[in-house]
Amino acid sequence: MKFSQRVTIPAAREPLWNFLMDIPRVARSLPGVEAVKQLDDATYEGTLKVKVGPISLSLQGKIILEERDRENWRATMRADANDRLAAGAVKARTAMQLKELGPKETELAVETDVNILGKIGEFGQPIIRKKADAMLKDFVENIKKQLSST
Amino acid sequence: MIPFEYRTPKSLKETHQALKEFGADAKLIAGGTALIIMMKQRLVRPTCLINLQALRPLQGIEAKNGALRIGSLATHREVESSALVKRVLPLLAETYHHVATVSVRNMATVGGGLAHADPNQDPPPTLIALGASVKVSSANGSRTLPLEGFFTDYYETVLQPDEVITDLFVPRMQPNSAGAYLKFLPRTADDYATVSVAAVVTLEPGKKVFKDVRIALGSVGTIPIRAKEAEAVLRGQPVKPEGLREAGEKAKGEVDPITDLRGSADYKREMAAVFVRRALEKALETLRKQPKRPAPRPLRSRRKNKK
Amino acid sequence: MKEEQDVKEAVRPQKKIRLKVNGKKYTVEIPTTRLLVDCLRYDVGLTGTKEGCSVGVCGACTVLIDGKMIRSCISLAVAADGREITTVEGLAKNGKLHPVQKSFIQYGGFQCGICTPGMVISAKALLDQNPRPNVDEIKDWMMGNLCRCTGYYKIIESIQNAWRFAKSK
Repeated sequence: MKFSQRVTIPAAREPLWNFLMDIPRVARSLPGVEAVKQLDDATYEGTLKVKVGPISLSLQGKIILEERDRENWRATMRADANDRLAAGAVKARTAMQLKELGPKETELAVETDVNILGKIGEFGQPIIRKKADAMLKDFVENIKKQLSST
Repeated sequence: MIPFEYRTPKSLKETHQALKEFGADAKLIAGGTALIIMMKQRLVRPTCLINLQALRPLQGIEAKNGALRIGSLATHREVESSALVKRVLPLLAETYHHVATVSVRNMATVGGGLAHADPNQDPPPTLIALGASVKVSSANGSRTLPLEGFFTDYYETVLQPDEVITDLFVPRMQPNSAGAYLKFLPRTADDYATVSVAAVVTLEPGKKVFKDVRIALGSVGTIPIRAKEAEAVLRGQPVKPEGLREAGEKAKGEVDPITDLRGSADYKREMAAVFVRRALEKALETLRKQPKRPAPRPLRSRRKNKK
Repeated sequence: MKEEQDVKEAVRPQKKIRLKVNGKKYTVEIPTTRLLVDCLRYDVGLTGTKEGCSVGVCGACTVLIDGKMIRSCISLAVAADGREITTVEGLAKNGKLHPVQKSFIQYGGFQCGICTPGMVISAKALLDQNPRPNVDEIKDWMMGNLCRCTGYYKIIESIQNAWRFAKSK
C-alpha cells in the first residue's frame, strides 16, 4: 500500500534535516511508537502499538536508515516489525524529501510503501489503509509541531 | 484462541465488577458471532470473557412510552419475528431479516451488533433513519444517547471501556410516513451489502409535499452515513422524480466508500445514488399503498413474553 | 500487562459444564476455549456434526439449542452450559429415521454427505415450524447451508416432500 504525505514546516532546511537524522525523535513522532533504542550506526529497535477497535497490535521491530543523501536532502528508512502474538508482520519503506520553499520554510514530502502480512493483512486492507493514512498524517503534523517550537 | 477466564454475571453490578477486575483486557460476549471469529484468528485476545446472557433486564421487546424498547440481548431473529415489531415498525423487522442467515440471527444480539460497529451491518442505517437511541450502563450510572453519533470509526463507538449497552429505543414513525431498506447484494445472499440505504419519508397531509426525509447509508464509509444534504434537497419540496434523482446525486458527495472485494469506491458511490433514489421510491410507494386509517392507537405498555 | 506473559506458561482455565444432548445428560470438564463443535465431537463423542468453514458461514456445524439453529463452530461450549442440544444423531428415535431423513434418502438429497448433517438438522428446524414449506420458504431458511456436490435441487425436493413421511411416524 502506498501513502503520500506533504507538509510545510516553518523551519530552514538544515535544522529540519538534522532533526530527521535523529531517528529516535523522528520515530516517536509516529503515534503509538514507544521505546526506540539504537543498536548501531544505522539500526534502531522499537515498538509500535496500534489499535483498531477491539484489535490491538504490538509490533516489535527494527528501523534501518538506508539512505542518507545530504546533498539531495533525501533519506530512506526501512522498518521490519512483527506482532508477537502471531497476528502478522509489517514491512515498510519510507522516503523523505526536503524542498526549500524559503529561508524559514521547507516542504517535507513523505512517501511510504507498506506491506502487511499475515492475519492482519487478510483481515481488512481498507481498515489498515484508513488507519495508516491517519497515522502518517499525525506523523507529519507532529514533526511540524516539534520544529515550530524550536 | 489464547486462554481466557470466563464469567457469567447474574446482574449488571456483577458485570461492572468483572469489567473493573479485568480492565481493558476483558471483553463482553453475548451472541459472539463476530467476537469468536476474531478470537479464533487471534486478532482479539481477551484475558477474560464476560458472558451477558444471564442478565434478564437486557432481554425482551416491548412498547414503552410510545416507542419500542428492545433489550440489548434480544436476538436479531427475535426482532425480525416479533409480532409487536412487525405491527408497529415493519421496516425494522424487515431490516433485521436481511442480516446473514437464520442461524446467525438466532445467535447475534441487537446490542452486540451495535457494539461491534461494523459499517457494513444492516440495522444501523435503518435505526438511524428511525431516530433510535441506546441506553448504556456503567458502574457510575446510565446514559441514553442517540444512535446517530454513536459510531465513530471502523469497529469503534463512543462506548467507554466499562459501559454495557442495555436497551435500544426506537420511536414510532410520524403519521403519513413510510420507510424502505434496500440492500444491494451483487454477491451471495448471506453477505454484507455492497451499498445499503434506509429511507424514511413523511409527507404533508395532501401527500404531495415532503414534510420530512431521513436517509442513512451503510457500507459507504467507516461508519453509517446520514445523507443530510440529500435530505435537504427534498424537505419542504413537492414529490417529483427529478427531486429523487437529485437527492441521489447529492448523496454521492456525502459518502466515502472504500474499495474492497464488494466493489470499488467509484462503483459504490454510483450505486449509492441509484439506491438512494430507489429507496425513496419504495418508501413513497409503501406510503401510497397504506390504507387510510384513524390516528394509530396508543401503545400501551404490556408485559410481553420474553421468548 | 498480561500480554507480556509467556503464552506457553499461561494457565488454561477449565470449566465443568452440564449439557443435555439428544435427551441424554453429559458432564464434561473442558478449557474455556473449547468450541461447541469440538466439545460435541470429541468430549461427547458425537461426530455427526461437521466443521466446514470454521467461520459460521457454511452451516455444516449447525446444531439446535433449545430447538433453534445455531453455528457450533463459533459458539463456546461453556456458553452452552445447562442447555438442551439436538444433533443429527438425535433425529432418529428407537431406530426409526426422522421423516426428514427418510425424505433425503428417498429423494437423493446428498452426494458426499459432508453438508448433510447440517442440512438435515436445519430442515428439521424448518419443518418443526412449517410442515409444508414452499420452495421460496425453503430457500430463505436454508440459505445458510452450503453444498458443493448436489446443486441444491435434490435437497430442496427432499425438504419439500418430507411431509409425506410424517404420516408413517
